[in-house]
Amino acid sequence: MPIYNPSLQSLSAAEVQRYAGMKEAHNFPPAAITAAVQEGRLLAEAKSSWEIFPYDSATSTILAERKIELTATSIKRHLQASQHVVVLAVTIGELLEKTSEHYFAQGSYSHALLLDAAGTTAVEAAADQLEAFIRQQYAQKGFICTRRFSPGYGNWDIRFQPEILRLANAGQVNITSTESCMLLPRKSVTAVIGLQPTYRQQKLQSNSTCSTCSLTNCLSRREKRKDETN
Amino acid sequence: MKVSVFDGAMGTMLQAAGLPAGYCPELWNLENPAAISKIHQTYIANGADIIETNTFGANRIKLEHYGLADQVATLNEAAVKAARAACAPHTKIAGSVGPTGKLLEPLGDLNFDTAVDVFQEQIRALVAADVDMIIIETIIDLQEMRAALIAAKTVTTKPVICQLSFGADGRTITGTDPETAAIVLSALGADVIGANCSLGPAQLLQVIEQLALHAQTPISVQPNAGMPELIHGETVFPMTPAEMAEWAPKLAAAGASYIGGCCGTTPAHIQAVKTALLHVSVTRQARQRRFDLALTSRTRTVHIGSKQPLALIGERINPTGRKAMAAEIKAGNFIGVKKEALGQVAAGAKILDVNMGVPGIDQAAAMTTVFHELSMLVDVPLVIDTTDAAALECALKAYPGRALINSVSAESERLASFLPLAKKYGAAILCLPLSDKGVPRTAAERLQCARQIIAAAFAAGLKPNDFLLDALVLTTAAEQNAALETLATLRLYRQELGYPSTMGLSNVSFGLPQRPIVNAAFCAMALEAGLDAPILNPYDERMKETLAAAAALRGEDPCGQQYSLLYAPNSAPLEAKSAALTLDTLGQIKSAVLQGEKESVIPLVEQALQEGFSSLVITDNALTAAMNEIGIAFGAGRCFLPQVLLAAETMRSAFLTLKKHLPAEAETYLGTVVIATVKGDIHDLGKNIVAALLENNGFKVIDLGKDVAPDCIVEAVRIHKPDIVGLCALMTTTMTKIDETIAAIKEAGLSPYTIVGGAVLTKEYALAAAADCFAANGVDAVTLAKSFMKENK
Repeated sequence: MPIYNPSLQSLSAAEVQRYAGMKEAHNFPPAAITAAVQEGRLLAEAKSSWEIFPYDSATSTILAERKIELTATSIKRHLQASQHVVVLAVTIGELLEKTSEHYFAQGSYSHALLLDAAGTTAVEAAADQLEAFIRQQYAQKGFICTRRFSPGYGNWDIRFQPEILRLANAGQVNITSTESCMLLPRKSVTAVIGLQPTYRQQKLQSNSTCSTCSLTNCLSRREKRKDETN
Repeated sequence: MKVSVFDGAMGTMLQAAGLPAGYCPELWNLENPAAISKIHQTYIANGADIIETNTFGANRIKLEHYGLADQVATLNEAAVKAARAACAPHTKIAGSVGPTGKLLEPLGDLNFDTAVDVFQEQIRALVAADVDMIIIETIIDLQEMRAALIAAKTVTTKPVICQLSFGADGRTITGTDPETAAIVLSALGADVIGANCSLGPAQLLQVIEQLALHAQTPISVQPNAGMPELIHGETVFPMTPAEMAEWAPKLAAAGASYIGGCCGTTPAHIQAVKTALLHVSVTRQARQRRFDLALTSRTRTVHIGSKQPLALIGERINPTGRKAMAAEIKAGNFIGVKKEALGQVAAGAKILDVNMGVPGIDQAAAMTTVFHELSMLVDVPLVIDTTDAAALECALKAYPGRALINSVSAESERLASFLPLAKKYGAAILCLPLSDKGVPRTAAERLQCARQIIAAAFAAGLKPNDFLLDALVLTTAAEQNAALETLATLRLYRQELGYPSTMGLSNVSFGLPQRPIVNAAFCAMALEAGLDAPILNPYDERMKETLAAAAALRGEDPCGQQYSLLYAPNSAPLEAKSAALTLDTLGQIKSAVLQGEKESVIPLVEQALQEGFSSLVITDNALTAAMNEIGIAFGAGRCFLPQVLLAAETMRSAFLTLKKHLPAEAETYLGTVVIATVKGDIHDLGKNIVAALLENNGFKVIDLGKDVAPDCIVEAVRIHKPDIVGLCALMTTTMTKIDETIAAIKEAGLSPYTIVGGAVLTKEYALAAAADCFAANGVDAVTLAKSFMKENK
């Protein structure tokens, strides 16, 4: 079972700022952001595991030992024309979230929030790194990878989470889920990547994963909210 | 130098010869050796000078997939035999060694020693069967290449070719650039360094140019026949033999003296390449200056030398005299060490010294952990600082780059144990002029001692690019001429030896007051005497100032531009201050809250109390007014959540100050709120933010935490009789618990005002769940709570 431990040699301050809900704040002390970025790098323990399976796009079935048919239209559309799927699970562990909670309890609210945002940035960066690793490996075999798609995106039910964790063999990097399908540690990501043969390559939609999300009021959404235009 | 031509792809040819899909290619070495020989013959007939054995996947980790892990020797020997059967008189056989398919620690879970053992097993078999050379190829990670090359060098003296696979961004998948690869592999003793697979010749051209500039060996290249496409289930490489042949002379001009093909290339491609190279020869010169030193991490190279920028070596990862750090290391906790690494790099260190010298610990184990962790965290090269040879070897194995070994003295035991390790793992050495006879006092004696170390190093196989000379710093307070002797040593080193120099600066000021003054002055003098890489505390402000000024004076910072950026007086804060000064004390408190100035609000509140303002007036006219203003700014999108929180923190400081001075008066009370994240939901940062904002706005908040069942919430409402209940859910799977909780509260005959919120919630959902209102965010929740209390008081 492949293990890949992403190396967080940098974290984007702009992303931390966005996840903290202030993508356009210009007068916030940069030192506060830098401190959160540094501490985020210090506390994130990035680990991931992934597995590849043949995929039958005609029946939307992941051909694992026990076949798994996908029913949600969003994930089916995302994986159309894919011949294989990579199922992945990434985490930065518990240390960061515990530290953030501690700061909050001490009354350092903004630092706790920024550190939490640094954690989100770190787990997304770790997932990006794993995705790039997989993309490059399969490009050599003539495959184009779709971007990653997670349970909860579009109408893909988050209750698929335990199945995804099982397929990605996420237990070996200590990711589990609660009864309500939340990932533990909380700063974890699971996703599926489709491998399409080059000749069937489709024009991938917008790079922004936000464009498919229905949470239009999300503070970290990449586009402006409608009521923000003035 | 004439260009030698390799063969092309083996896999493509095997498939054409009928190898079934999914069948172990290496098994044909035993079962169908004639087919293997035939492929070799075809390549030789088409011009290949060197053929590669059919052993790319013949290591035990790869063979395990086919249940053939115990057949390593047999399959490799059979492959060489099949190759030998095909050879023309001048054909050379290269034993092909491919990746294990697993990533080494810390990127993956394969142990370094295991990897070395796996490669040794295969290479031993190839060598026993008498290949002419080993070719380690298609490796995507520098650490795996290090393991394979070290394995090869420990079992054979035959030449070893090392080829990495680079991606379209010019780096290997795990981030190594060609320059770093060239430096690490040259130092490890690779005989040829190159690139193969993953890219076509056009994309590999720049990689080859970079390798040729920085490697001290000949260069090889085996591109794919263009970028692959998967057509009707088959991987197709689009480049024709004629197109490929056009690139061959360009690759030779870029510095490659071994050229062949990888995936998708056929005997026709090799013939075309051979023809195109008939009258081409290669001449090239490595760029690295004769005596300069290059150190690398996995992803970055730092050069040290007289024409290079000053390379600061951070000295702070050292538990000597630092009780807290020593205790942490002893407990197996490296957070403090990692913090020092990040901090020093941020402060300008280009290289980090790493010392784990804590008495009573397993230093070797600590070195392995810390070199793994730091290699994942920072991209600057590391220095291994230990006197323990076992710990040194562990660090050398763990580190996926070219490290520097600190403190190689002329003491005979040190030379005997450290130099072979430096050679084996391709590390550079810091030569410390100390001998069995003790500390040499004069510059001339130190030079003599350095010469002794260098001579021993050459005898152990090290090269002129492997040295950094320490000038040795003694204490001025104890010895009048200590500093002058060190400066004289620096000058002598430069004049007589030419290798770059270093020294631990701070020793000089030991026992003197205001040590940073002495250190900075000494640093400036040492730079002029030829110091290239000072070991120092990068946080020292005076040292930073001295280095910035020195860079300007030495012409490294043209016209002092960087210096000016750092030290030009900044007028902006003064303006802000003077604006604040025009306000009265209450105005200043309000401004401090708005700006989130946690520290400055405390004396301001104290001042206001002295001026006779009551706690109530300060709260209403300054603090609450500020929070209201922040709330309005937030609603209008002019300020953002972290700013609101910073203001709340400032407000908290102010309240605590009021409480301290006027405990009876300071209480403000708007109402009671019971707040919880509902059952099944474990996210509570959002809920915590709402709770904190409510609290700082005068509410008494009873926070039940996260994952709280409806009956617990009902019970809390019964006991505390709150005015308001706040419920939060973040996920679609948990938001139904909001409905259940509200129903349970109502069923119990209780009727607090209910406010709900959380990422997936909407106004519509809140109404359907029978909540009294929906809060889109924390500020909104405070506004709703306040207006409810106002209407119902």
